[in-house]
Amino acid sequence: MISLLDIKVWRDLVRIKGQAGAVALVMACGVAMLVMARSLINSLETTRLEYYQTHHFADVFVQLKRAPMQLRERLMEIAGVAAVEAGLVFQVTIDLAGLDEPASGQARSVPDTGEPGLNRLYLRKGRWLSASGRHEVLVGEAFAEANQLEPGDQITILLNGRRQALKIVGIVLSPEFIFESRPGTALPDNRTYGIFWMRYTELASAFDMDGAFNFAALALSPGSNDRPVIAEVDRLLVAYGGRGAFGRGDHPSHIRVSDEIRVLTALSIGFPAVFLTVSALMSHAVLLRLVNLQREQIAILKAFGFGDVEIAWHYFKFALVITLAGITIGTVGGMVLGRWLVVLYHVFFRFPSLEFQLDAGALVMAVVVSAGAAVAGVFGAVRRAACLPPAEAMRPEPPTEYRPALVERTGIGRWLSHTFRIAVRNIERRPMQAVFTVAGLALATGILIIPSCFRDGVDHVMEFQWDVVQRQDLSVGLVEPGDKRVCNVFAQLPGVLHVEPFRAAFVRLSNGNRHRQLAIRGIPGGTLHDRVIDARYRQVVLPKGGLVFSAKLAEVLGARVGDQILVEALEGKRTVSFVPLVALAEDFSGVAAYMDMESLNRILLEGDVVTGATFSIDKAHWAEFLGSLKQVPRVSWVAIKNSLRESFRRTTARSIDLIQRIYMTFAIVVAFGVVYNNARISLAERARELATLRVVGFSRGEVGSILLTELVLLALPSVPFGLLLGTLFSTVIIGMVNTETVRLPLILTSHNYAFASLVVAAGSLVSAMVVLQKLKHLDLIAVLRAPE
Amino acid sequence: MAVESSHEGSGCGGVKRTEVGTQVFRVRGLTKVYGHGETAVRALSGVDLDLYAGELVVLLGPSGSGKTTLLNNIGGLDVPTSGELWFHDLDLTNATEEELTRYRRDRVGFVFQFYNLIPSLTARENVALITEIARDPMPAEEALEMVNLGGRLDHFPAQMSGGEQQRVAIARAIAKRPEVLLCDEPTGALDVRTGIAVLEAIERINRELGTLTVIITHNAVMAEMADRVIHLSDGRVHHIHVNSTRAPVSSLNW
Ligand SMILES: Nc1ncnc2c1ncn2[C@@H]1O[C@H](COP(=O)(O)OP(=O)(O)OP(=O)(O)O)[C@@H](O)[C@H]1O
Ligand SMILES: [Mg+2]
Repeated sequence: MISLLDIKVWRDLVRIKGQAGAVALVMACGVAMLVMARSLINSLETTRLEYYQTHHFADVFVQLKRAPMQLRERLMEIAGVAAVEAGLVFQVTIDLAGLDEPASGQARSVPDTGEPGLNRLYLRKGRWLSASGRHEVLVGEAFAEANQLEPGDQITILLNGRRQALKIVGIVLSPEFIFESRPGTALPDNRTYGIFWMRYTELASAFDMDGAFNFAALALSPGSNDRPVIAEVDRLLVAYGGRGAFGRGDHPSHIRVSDEIRVLTALSIGFPAVFLTVSALMSHAVLLRLVNLQREQIAILKAFGFGDVEIAWHYFKFALVITLAGITIGTVGGMVLGRWLVVLYHVFFRFPSLEFQLDAGALVMAVVVSAGAAVAGVFGAVRRAACLPPAEAMRPEPPTEYRPALVERTGIGRWLSHTFRIAVRNIERRPMQAVFTVAGLALATGILIIPSCFRDGVDHVMEFQWDVVQRQDLSVGLVEPGDKRVCNVFAQLPGVLHVEPFRAAFVRLSNGNRHRQLAIRGIPGGTLHDRVIDARYRQVVLPKGGLVFSAKLAEVLGARVGDQILVEALEGKRTVSFVPLVALAEDFSGVAAYMDMESLNRILLEGDVVTGATFSIDKAHWAEFLGSLKQVPRVSWVAIKNSLRESFRRTTARSIDLIQRIYMTFAIVVAFGVVYNNARISLAERARELATLRVVGFSRGEVGSILLTELVLLALPSVPFGLLLGTLFSTVIIGMVNTETVRLPLILTSHNYAFASLVVAAGSLVSAMVVLQKLKHLDLIAVLRAPE
Repeated sequence: MAVESSHEGSGCGGVKRTEVGTQVFRVRGLTKVYGHGETAVRALSGVDLDLYAGELVVLLGPSGSGKTTLLNNIGGLDVPTSGELWFHDLDLTNATEEELTRYRRDRVGFVFQFYNLIPSLTARENVALITEIARDPMPAEEALEMVNLGGRLDHFPAQMSGGEQQRVAIARAIAKRPEVLLCDEPTGALDVRTGIAVLEAIERINRELGTLTVIITHNAVMAEMADRVIHLSDGRVHHIHVNSTRAPVSSLNW
């Protein structure tokens, strides 16, 4: 049976529906964020795990120069290894009919018979390779989609310098390439970089690797650690040009997904925490006002024998109804947004199927956290209601101690208008309420800073990377390290304005017991293209004989300028040497190490060797240049800056944009909610006073100006606090989000600050207008009766 | 409608009846219906009434007879459903919101049972609030002096007794030198002695400024201080009683 008190809850709620709705909406934003982020984490984690299990994703990976297939058995014998898959992988260039620029990619082998034991493929379209697999190829989905390739299409791949026309028979996915991108780049460019699978024999004969392998993947037996296995594999493969084995923790595709999960985790904590704090403040304000207005009712209930607990419960129910509404709206909203974002994730992450999976735990968490926030928010008000002695409550509100406000006591009071005085004294009389309002508005302002900060950070990284760091128009990689004189050949190509060689050398860097495998980038002195930039945006002149690390790499290795870093070459002569770390670079793309090219070649004990070159091209001869570049046989890959930028704009930027927009919408909802709520509360609390002013002849505008003055007085101080809070939130959240592959700088622009302030100002204005409209319906007569 | 004349209480210390001034209000067939359909309430059903400059009128009648409704209509707080309601040549039945606001601001002073002071302003400021927007106000201090509150200028409402607050309300009402002073049960929340002080203040205003004053009360004794006593019942003027002399407030005993 519904008790009469419950009916009262309902009717009172209907009366304050505007405010209750605002609170519920803000809460819903927090819940939606929580549900969305946690469910996405859940979806990514479970989908990835399932994918890994069903497709036998390996635990340890290693590339080497060349080893006979028999070595596979030796790898199998390593303690803790359950399965080994050995095969071939080569960098190749692709000539696509419709594509002007040369595309590149990896050609990988699949066994001649049966499925691979590890890293099995998932067939999205078409069929598997035929038994012989002659002139057949499977193509990774991201590349196929970007270039609109279908089974049955032909592509031409340069295999070991020979152009080979191949027929696409199937479009596939691999657990190794959930994130399909060129190794060492943070951004995918699926149009110009793809993964291809061919039969082992086909690939081996093209590269003269029959009976050998240059890539191995190992699965561990349950419960084994990858560390000792990696060490053993490295020891075993040294003689075969092993480039250092690595575990899942260093697998580019794997860490990319893990990083996304980390970002989501940060967001699932940061945003909802702020939103729910705001909603707690709001429910506090709404309920406190309700209790104040219902003093007499509370007294009467008590006089009739209702206990403190019943009264407290009665008022808690308001919070609970609001919370329930907030959770419901938020959950539905979070699910809708989550489904939407899952679709977006297809752009980055290739799973056989990525379904949105509601995280039941998130729901429980949402309920607990938002109910907790609401209860914490209303606790004071409810306790106040419960503790009101009936006799006291019967009397109208205790004499409210007004006094001239502080500003007046400073002596400027004489110049203040009466309406201004009313506003100032009201604020001063309820300092806590004013503090809460300022806090709410400040939080709303702060929330607005975060999304823009993300956007500006991404923009900055892109500009920095493409305009400041990489001055070249495109980079080209060679099939094998070659003589520096190759640059002379390159310089002869049509349209070339400037060529610079570079040398990438795969090494293991160690500082104490911390290690990292990566390619050191050797750059010629006085480079115009590939610049290394320090934190103060100055070009770092690479010193002879010293290493320069990106800030992130220094952090990963715990290295400081001056430290001696152990550099073990994982290719060529496999030299081992100590090189001092001489400077740090500002590099947003993650971990990177640079050296002067000559010095690098010297420690590698190789002559003037280069592995690629960077180009500046005369735009007028662009097509001509690309056409002739396709004919250079030793080129293994080509990265075109504008193509990368374009691809980024089309995919990543668009989805980042969408996500920013979602956050921005939420932030705006909060900003409006807080202001509207506040204005409604002052209107309700002051209805009597305002109506009296109307009665004695003040116009609607004059009465409204009192409310407006109060609002402005509260909004003004909230702006600097809000900007401060926003800076703090952004610093914390961006700090949480930063990973090895994604590093966002903290960029706080005056534009961002201005926008946040403007939105809150606009929110205040619109809410104030809505509330001023309500002044029209102020009941002038009711107010003259006895106080409620 | 019956008009009767009375001379009782006109004995010792009586004040001479106010000279009948020019007509200020003309009320004809004034009807006010709240709500509609089944739940419609007829608060006023055809009031005919004239009010003259300078007179002091007491409105009497049982609870629910429509006194407050009539006063609110006269004061421009509410608009009648039908009938005529003229303030001089201002048609209050068809006035716009702006005209009503201007009318209240310039012509009418209100005093209510629950004072309705602005709690955040001092006595002086509560009065000054109105004088700031009035056309020809007296200084706030003078208005407060008239209600004998010259010494409490800088006190906040919470620091004053009910009677004092009500006198501030009166000062606020008369500071703009209104043509009409409308008081709805001004002593309703006060004890006898305080009530008398308040009534004396009202009476003094009426006498010294010649403000047309209408007082609603449940206390028939107060009728003796009026020039005319209007009895309402069931939303109609039941009868009007004219006092030949007004009894001084101090002589009223209830
Ligand atoms: N806003 C309203 N809605 C509906 N009915 C109303 C409203 N205001 C007044 N009434 C009704 O109109 C009638 C007259 O009310 P009014 O307040 O004028 O009486 P009154 O003579 O002032 O009574 P009292 O002496 O108790 O103050 C009453 O029946 C009342 O219920
Ligand atoms: Mg009444």
